[in-house]
Amino acid sequence: MKSLVRLIAYTILIVIGFVSHSRLLADDGADAKAIAYFETHIRPLLASRCYSCHSARSGNEEGGLVLDTRDGWMRGGDQGVAIVPGDADASLLIRAVRYSDPDMQMPPDKALPAASIAHLERWVEIGAPDPREPKSETEANVFAASDPIAGRRHWAYQPLKQVPTEQIASASERPAAWSRGAIDRFIIAKLNAANLTPAPDADPEKLARRLFIQLVGLPPTPDQLADFLSDGQPAAVERLVDRLLASPQFGQRWGRHWLDLARYADSNGLDENFLFREAWRYRNQVIGSFNSDTPLDQLLREQIAGDLLPYETIAQRDRQRIAAGFLVIGPKVLLIDKESRMQQRMDIADELIDTVGKAVLGQTVGCARCHDHKFDPIPTSDYYALAGILASTQVLEERQMLNQTRVMERLAGIGPKGKQRDDAYERYWIERGAIQKRVERIEHSLKLLRAGDQLGLLQLDQNHDGVLSPIALNHCRELSERVAAQEAMLDQGKRVLNNPPPIPPRAMVPADIDRPADQAIRLAGQVNRPGPMVPRGFLSVLTDREYPIPQNSSGRLELANWLTDTHGGAGHLAARVFANRVWHHLMGRGIVRTVDNFGRTGEEPSHPELLDHLASELIESGWSVKSLVRSIVLSRTFAMSSRHDDHAYSIDPDNQLLWRAHRRRMDPETFRDAMLQASGTLDFGHVDSTVDYLGDQATAVGANKNRRRTDFPCRSVYLPVIRNDLPELFDVFDFADPQATTGMRTETMVGTQGLFVLNDVSMLAASDAIARRLMVAVDPSVGADSRRVDQLYQWVVGQAPPDDELEEVLAVIGQLETQLQGETFDEIRLRAWSVVSQALFASSRFQIIE
Amino acid sequence: MSRCHQFTPVTSRRDLLRTSACGFGQIALAGMAGQTLLATDHGLTTDPVIPVRAKRVIFLFMWGGPSHIDFFDPKPRLNELSGQSLNASSVGRSSSEGGDRDLGTLMGSPFTFSQHGESGIWMNELFPQLSKHADKMCVIRSLHTEGSAHGEALLRLHTGQANLVRPSVGAWVSYGLGSENENLPAFITISPPRGHGGAQNYGSAFLPAVHQGTAIGSAETPIRQAKISNLTNPSLSLDLQRKQLDLVQSINARHLQEVGQDRRLEGLIENYELAYRMQSTIPAIMDLSDETLETLNLYGVDAEPTDNFARQCLLARKFAEQGVRYIQVSTDYTWDHHKQVKEGSIKEAAKVDRPIAGLLEDLQRRGLLEDTLVVWGAEFGRTPTMENGDGRNHHPQAFTMWMAGGGCKPGLTYGATDEFGHSPVENPVHMHDLHATLLYMLGLDHEHLTYRHAGRDFRLTDVYGNVVHDILT
Repeated sequence: MKSLVRLIAYTILIVIGFVSHSRLLADDGADAKAIAYFETHIRPLLASRCYSCHSARSGNEEGGLVLDTRDGWMRGGDQGVAIVPGDADASLLIRAVRYSDPDMQMPPDKALPAASIAHLERWVEIGAPDPREPKSETEANVFAASDPIAGRRHWAYQPLKQVPTEQIASASERPAAWSRGAIDRFIIAKLNAANLTPAPDADPEKLARRLFIQLVGLPPTPDQLADFLSDGQPAAVERLVDRLLASPQFGQRWGRHWLDLARYADSNGLDENFLFREAWRYRNQVIGSFNSDTPLDQLLREQIAGDLLPYETIAQRDRQRIAAGFLVIGPKVLLIDKESRMQQRMDIADELIDTVGKAVLGQTVGCARCHDHKFDPIPTSDYYALAGILASTQVLEERQMLNQTRVMERLAGIGPKGKQRDDAYERYWIERGAIQKRVERIEHSLKLLRAGDQLGLLQLDQNHDGVLSPIALNHCRELSERVAAQEAMLDQGKRVLNNPPPIPPRAMVPADIDRPADQAIRLAGQVNRPGPMVPRGFLSVLTDREYPIPQNSSGRLELANWLTDTHGGAGHLAARVFANRVWHHLMGRGIVRTVDNFGRTGEEPSHPELLDHLASELIESGWSVKSLVRSIVLSRTFAMSSRHDDHAYSIDPDNQLLWRAHRRRMDPETFRDAMLQASGTLDFGHVDSTVDYLGDQATAVGANKNRRRTDFPCRSVYLPVIRNDLPELFDVFDFADPQATTGMRTETMVGTQGLFVLNDVSMLAASDAIARRLMVAVDPSVGADSRRVDQLYQWVVGQAPPDDELEEVLAVIGQLETQLQGETFDEIRLRAWSVVSQALFASSRFQIIE
Repeated sequence: MSRCHQFTPVTSRRDLLRTSACGFGQIALAGMAGQTLLATDHGLTTDPVIPVRAKRVIFLFMWGGPSHIDFFDPKPRLNELSGQSLNASSVGRSSSEGGDRDLGTLMGSPFTFSQHGESGIWMNELFPQLSKHADKMCVIRSLHTEGSAHGEALLRLHTGQANLVRPSVGAWVSYGLGSENENLPAFITISPPRGHGGAQNYGSAFLPAVHQGTAIGSAETPIRQAKISNLTNPSLSLDLQRKQLDLVQSINARHLQEVGQDRRLEGLIENYELAYRMQSTIPAIMDLSDETLETLNLYGVDAEPTDNFARQCLLARKFAEQGVRYIQVSTDYTWDHHKQVKEGSIKEAAKVDRPIAGLLEDLQRRGLLEDTLVVWGAEFGRTPTMENGDGRNHHPQAFTMWMAGGGCKPGLTYGATDEFGHSPVENPVHMHDLHATLLYMLGLDHEHLTYRHAGRDFRLTDVYGNVVHDILT
């Protein structure tokens, strides 16, 4: 019923004219930017200056030419083809508008302005992109992209389709019997169809390195590699995979993938970069959840509504609450006028809609805040149905901070008596001003006492309770006694003042607001322009049954259930999106490469049946991430070599069909952790807070010059993620931007990366450490230098150096030993090896995963 | 369908390096992350109808918010009524908008204003050097924005928005124009604030990382100690580092030979060469020892209280000369005069007056002023009412900024506020309008300079912004 009400609201909006009738861009292969160019510069021009004489719709087809369809100019008029895409000079249309040919001048009344001609030339030069259907404009106008019923035809909203794997031809595959299982059969079917064959299997060394890095974020140590290589049994790879999946390092790698989506950070960012002192609990719990293989649907429910879920123990309650920190951890504008509170609430709801929409469903729902979605079947009414739920959720609260009442992230005490302890802590800070005043008054009383001002004392006592002890007031007592009594009181007061209670265990936890309520559509997204009210609910295009939301609750619990509900909810899409993410991380590219956008502006899957197969497998395994990872990495597809092949490259240069493994560059976490592991200084254990030494402002303002540290020996997943002040390594090497949910990190190559590798102190420290380790590990007998180079290579790149490379490294060592300065030869030698070690860390052998 | 996610094949090393000239070490791994590097890749920005009035911008940012009514926008009536309370109805609010509200006690300006130059630009007595350049200045008295706290206002000034993370103005300019110098970034920010949005104020958000501002030091660090991070090796001479780099490249080349072809690997090789070139050239630019004593004096280098800001301004000129597109110079967080607005203004003006005048003079002498736009301003102005007895509070409703050089009409005073300096009453210029105008002066149309992200096109001015044609040359 509710979705029906929303549809009505949607229809009303159409009637009052707020809906933009953008057409579905039909040509899926076309370049969206180029189409934007067409829409901005060309279509309006054609419509205003050309259609009156050249339009199928109006019936005016002068010279046989129509320009209101793509077919029209492709077919051309009586004089021939009007436009030659890519060649302005050869295009009749361009010749006509240039007015250079006296026999052909268009428009006939008046030449176009120079800018318009330039736009047309440019458009033709870039290939004359034209999204218009081969129909006239009138018919095209009927389609509304945001219609949630027609929108179900889009592939991503369809139920999962299971192709029985035996139906996928395997008998005729080339090379024969290549497939190990369903995944491989989907891959090779497409390869063979394109006349391609898969690359040979990767070397066991390379496969091991790939497996270690993808599963636990670290390359194998020489011992681990040797163990694997010496296991000659058939199921050696499976045993290795199972060991890695069971390792606590798995969560440190795969938890981080989720943290990218959760826009995890240790500070707020935006206007007031308050420290999120308790964020680490969320981080560590995510890591734990991936280690314990918490079913993904449960994990998602906990992220969205953990604070509302039933529990049996305090530990379970806290675990669920901490997980719901997902909602609290986003960046928020904190310091606002009181009048702007509604704006703030809607902005926060927007941030949450954007995050949940992209992270869980691969949908750009946020686009529907100001108008119906221009490309996807998401009307504004759906946006505000969700906004009602999330605006009924509280993620901020007022607390005492920096001796002021501040609006900040919502916290809740955890553990037994968590609430009482948190309340006591907060009370202290609320009362601190009064305690301070009392201490000052006691100090004043001592002055009065010593000055013999009995009247003053009595007045003080009358005006303020608890400042004077009865002894001090009693003028019959000795002065020394009276002073001592007040001094004791002063001491006690100061003790309270100067000993704030320690911060109790707390976590970032959302809550439903007191009176959850529906929201009105906001016209043009403006908070102060309410339109029709919309009942709380979800995306209509993915809703096939009723999800009643109880009066007194936000609807978050129902939202969480709907997201993963495979019977009438969004579960199939959620499974597709997540299965694609797993594939993306393991293979280097998603089956849908736009991992956060499964809408019409995203890409279509390269292997739709495979995607559905993986998504179904995820659901059937009880949403087990580890099972899905396991079946992908045990495929033959995963084990392919990354070697280049000219023939395959000429057919499929982007490796869309996976004729080989994608070669990849290390992410910054692996890069750093692998360096520290090789130098023998990495701490593998889990770490709690790495920001507890910071003040309440996480970045320097005025007198506060405290800055986050990065010199911890821990794994990179535990390093501080301060918004607007990321560790330099992260900043430079394309770490996920913690300001917004990130499913695919950008991959850039900028000069600052080279500068970091060549000069950063952390690089030098790791190089020094591995040089020291080398001096200890290799005994200085004859041929020590060769053995050192060999050992260095084993530690850093997991293979021996080629002979000529060994010779070259030795030669460089020799030269450095004569050219470097130092007190002793030992010191010089150490420096020389450090310089060479750094060179190996800088090399592609280390940084590129094959 | 979206090009942003299409993986354009890069078939040769030449292709690979094709656009490395477009900026600071950006290797053209065109399809690698599916990113568009420069706006011109799509032919969407350079609009033949907009003349290029300025090739670069130097933005002098006065962090904290100088008081417009004490510097550039004299209010005799405010002085007359000083000490009386200001009713909201007097600044144009109807009763339904809280017109009865008492906005506080009016406080006149302690400074004396006079007109300068042939154009008669009004300024107080705290800018004796700058006022000599009055005829170069275009003063806009009707700026207004949102955000009555620093953080929100800074983000709006630098990125156009506060509640969402958006690319900064400099990043958009870099994206729109690219760099004129392949060894330098297109966007440099000298002593940027760490707080109030911090790095977000010079970030690239969803634009490719190459467009992010390169920071030199930070606001709280004296510029003498500031540096670009990792530009020098603390323990290795350039010669020995070259030897080390030769070894790296030799290993890489051998690796490349083994694998046959790999654009990432090729990119890595070129990347190191670029880094090496950068660390050889940038320190030379940052070194002021090749400047004449006369130039140093012109800015106030080695004199107090001007030394710090003088060095920042001189660096800005050097970068402008080298083809950097957008240079921001920031003061420390010292313009926030909630108390003692008189003393504070005197103190802060003395730090920047000579350096700014020196910058204008120097740019002119070198023929750079005609295509360099200098902008002076802050996140907001200050209230005509008193705070803490002798201070003024934040005031985003109306404030003054001024420009000089390429693109703006010299000697013009534009826009006006009411008799208290509380609200714009003539030709209001919103922050979005300022941004649109700034881009326009650079030959960019703010409605066309867009970037496709998360399924839609974004621009600096969102859906707002009007070019202020009246102030253009």
